[in-house]
Amino acid sequence: MHMKKNRYHLEFKLFFRNSSSWIGIFILLITGFAGQYFGKTFIARQQAVIEKAATLQKKNTLNNIDHFGNDIGLLFFHNKFTLANVPDHWAAFANGQRDINPYLISVTMLALEGQLYDTDINNPVSLLLGNMDLSFVFIFLFPLVIIAFTYNLLSEQKESGIWSLLKAQTNQSFQIIWQKFLVRVVVIFSVALLLLVIAMLYLALPPDLTFLSVTVLVLLYLTFWFAVSFFIISLGKSSNFNASALIAVWVLLCIVIPASFNLFLTRKYPVPEALQNVINQREGYHEKWDMAKDVTMKPFFKHYPQLKKYPFPEKKTFSWYWYYAMQQMGDDQAMASRLAIDKKLARRQHFTSIFALFFPTIQTQLGVNKIAGSDLDTHLEFQQAVRKYHEQIRLHFYPAIFLNQSVNDTDIKDYKMEKYTRQQIPNVWTNMLSISLLTMVMIGATVFNLKKDSI
Amino acid sequence: MSGRISTIAKQTFKAAFNNGATIALTLLLGLSLCLATYIGWQNFKMQNNQRLHYKALVRAQWLAKPDKHPHRMAHYGYLAFREKHELSFFDFGIESFAGVSIFLEAHKQNTVNFSEAGFTNGMLSFGEISVAMVLQLLVPLLIIFLGYNSISAERESGTLKILLCQDVSWKQLLWGKTIGIIGICLSIFIPLILLTILLWASLSNWQISMDSALRLLLLVLSYAIYFFVISAITVLVSAFARSSKSALITLLACWIFFMVIMPRITQAVGVKIYPAPSKIEFADAIAADVHQQGDSHDPNDPHYAAIKDSLLKVYAVDDVKKLPFNYGGYIMAEGEKITSKIYTKHQDKLNNIFEKQNSITTITGFLNPYLSLKNISMALTSSDFNTYVDFQQQAENYRYQLAQKMNKLQIEKISNIKPGDEDKPLAISKSNWAEQPDFNYHFKKLDTVLSNELLALSALTFWLLVTVISLHYSTKRIKTI
Repeated sequence: MHMKKNRYHLEFKLFFRNSSSWIGIFILLITGFAGQYFGKTFIARQQAVIEKAATLQKKNTLNNIDHFGNDIGLLFFHNKFTLANVPDHWAAFANGQRDINPYLISVTMLALEGQLYDTDINNPVSLLLGNMDLSFVFIFLFPLVIIAFTYNLLSEQKESGIWSLLKAQTNQSFQIIWQKFLVRVVVIFSVALLLLVIAMLYLALPPDLTFLSVTVLVLLYLTFWFAVSFFIISLGKSSNFNASALIAVWVLLCIVIPASFNLFLTRKYPVPEALQNVINQREGYHEKWDMAKDVTMKPFFKHYPQLKKYPFPEKKTFSWYWYYAMQQMGDDQAMASRLAIDKKLARRQHFTSIFALFFPTIQTQLGVNKIAGSDLDTHLEFQQAVRKYHEQIRLHFYPAIFLNQSVNDTDIKDYKMEKYTRQQIPNVWTNMLSISLLTMVMIGATVFNLKKDSI
Repeated sequence: MSGRISTIAKQTFKAAFNNGATIALTLLLGLSLCLATYIGWQNFKMQNNQRLHYKALVRAQWLAKPDKHPHRMAHYGYLAFREKHELSFFDFGIESFAGVSIFLEAHKQNTVNFSEAGFTNGMLSFGEISVAMVLQLLVPLLIIFLGYNSISAERESGTLKILLCQDVSWKQLLWGKTIGIIGICLSIFIPLILLTILLWASLSNWQISMDSALRLLLLVLSYAIYFFVISAITVLVSAFARSSKSALITLLACWIFFMVIMPRITQAVGVKIYPAPSKIEFADAIAADVHQQGDSHDPNDPHYAAIKDSLLKVYAVDDVKKLPFNYGGYIMAEGEKITSKIYTKHQDKLNNIFEKQNSITTITGFLNPYLSLKNISMALTSSDFNTYVDFQQQAENYRYQLAQKMNKLQIEKISNIKPGDEDKPLAISKSNWAEQPDFNYHFKKLDTVLSNELLALSALTFWLLVTVISLHYSTKRIKTI
């Protein structure tokens, strides 16, 4: 027992004496810090914009009342209501889709489908090259350092001739490789934990169950890569073969397979429904101008029987009552295509989640995005929240508009920017399970290898 | 001298193909290239057909609108779809991150919506496989695997000394090895290019434009230079490295740093140095400027009051209703002119900020050949930032012309007397709608594209020079043993 402890002590010493070990650790720490810094900057900017949006909401409402206050229909034609998708602390850890999808949606009371999909103003090149955050470091760079630390554990011994000496002297030669390997596992895990603890402080991540599950997910992912590396080592090939093979595996898992999958996904599930939806919404509203008022009002009152009690000015060529009902028709007639988009996206999601079961890289990325609330699902929920908010505003102000009340009799001034936050943080059990199983498979294959040719 | 180089090159080429792993890797790459070409082409066809389908639908709907007030038509507006360049199946560039459709209406500038990225779930952060991606990222990896031991293995086995004793110079050796490795790359690159040309020609129904042909030619040339640069660097590292192993590790580390980490960092730095306004700040700044210039909705606004006074004076009438044209239309045309000018000013400023953000990545091309090639490739396939901005500008021009066309129709054809509350609304004949032409995006010509990409082009040329000079003159510093 004592001797074993001594041997580990020696292996640690040997490991840290090597300058390339320090370079690897240093790279992980530096990129880890950079990832946290850029990830935090990105999210802090969004938070600042949300705060600004809150003040602008107030200012613009007052401005609009000032300008259009004597015509309530015109006021609500112009006035926007804002809902903000407030970033979770974890969003700084994994920026995910928060750069692509708008986190502030401002809508007037007019047809929602024509406004809901408006994007933010973005630099498409930045979107293409991607964000630098801590999850990137864990998912892409840690495996590379794991590969660099382990690829020649056995082959180097063989190539320098030490291995045959060792084998002659002790029957526990394999133990030595195993000890070297464990030393590297301990070092990488320590660096990962250190970065996570720093992230906890710097990104203000609460030390709760979520933190624990991200930690477990990350460590499982790193374990998978150790298992891959150990499998390649167990083949007993040369250092150069190991390095090439491991990099090839990395390129496959981190670039080629996900990138090919993307192309396949676009091909298999295109979303022309989105373009159809724009057209439906536009026609659904605009065509009503050239039709009898009944064509608009009948379905409108069918949709909202409770509004029938407000008298509709049939004879007037134009009334805001008619106008808002026409706008409503835009949304109502786009209903089918909107649901078709949802359905298509759900099918995409489903297919992706099944595919991801077999690829830990994708699994981990999707897992941390999910926890960080920077995934597509969270954005779709946010859109849903905007729909609900929009509907609530419509129903609240329709009567005042239809009765042509004075703006001062409404409570529009009380409407502030609303914040949307998730109801619950999702769990990542499936992600953990799939990575664990794949790791187990790798370990199984390694054991089989080792037994077969007992290096 | 050149005879020796070609002998070494041939030897390198043959030796590589004696190795089973090389053949496997090369075949795999070739296969994935064919797959990327095929699916990329299919995606291109599908997406472009979708856009063309909706483009035709939008046009038909526009023409079918009944008689109505021209200002109703201005609000009905137009939907423009961003078409893909025929070469964009080769390099997707920012295609998936840029919106596809934009709604063009009076008074209001909308965003380009429905990018492919908005429909995916974080997967896109891994990238999308395209011919360009394979050639830019994976071929260099193949070059590294082929060439990391090109010199060092000769040194380790002792054959290097023999070679040099046999009157082979270092220069010949380096050039020969480099050319041999490029030969292997070209053996997959050339068939692929032929395939690309075939596909592309069939895409454009065998009617190839000179502009596109030149684009493709330059594309081929740029990639060939890129492969040369990477091969030369690989051979040089192999020559300078202590061992094959250290050459391999150095090259792999460089590949990861320059192709995976660096692009993200340079762009993040660019965004940090040149912050762009958020959408609400952007809109607020425009609103403030418009307010300052005058508010067409405000009857007491000094700017519009002055216009009114001068019109009354010129036509010697005491009420705008007595003017011989539609006064409302005239004021709207003036308002559109002012707001559109202000908007364009702000949009140009925004694009300028984005360009500055991107310039960090472009300048880094001098440190990183991958980035310079990436920019050139995107520009030549019209899947780059400039093309996107150009689309936005052409769409905005179209929007402005449409709005002003409708204002003109209103000024000329709509009565100046407002109908009563219960009267039939004023309208003009639907035959007027056809006067507004369809929206057609025109890609920039090659010379404009090239002048935009001067920096990236000079970066790649710089790399070519650096590697040629290094192959020629660094030989004195290399150790034989």
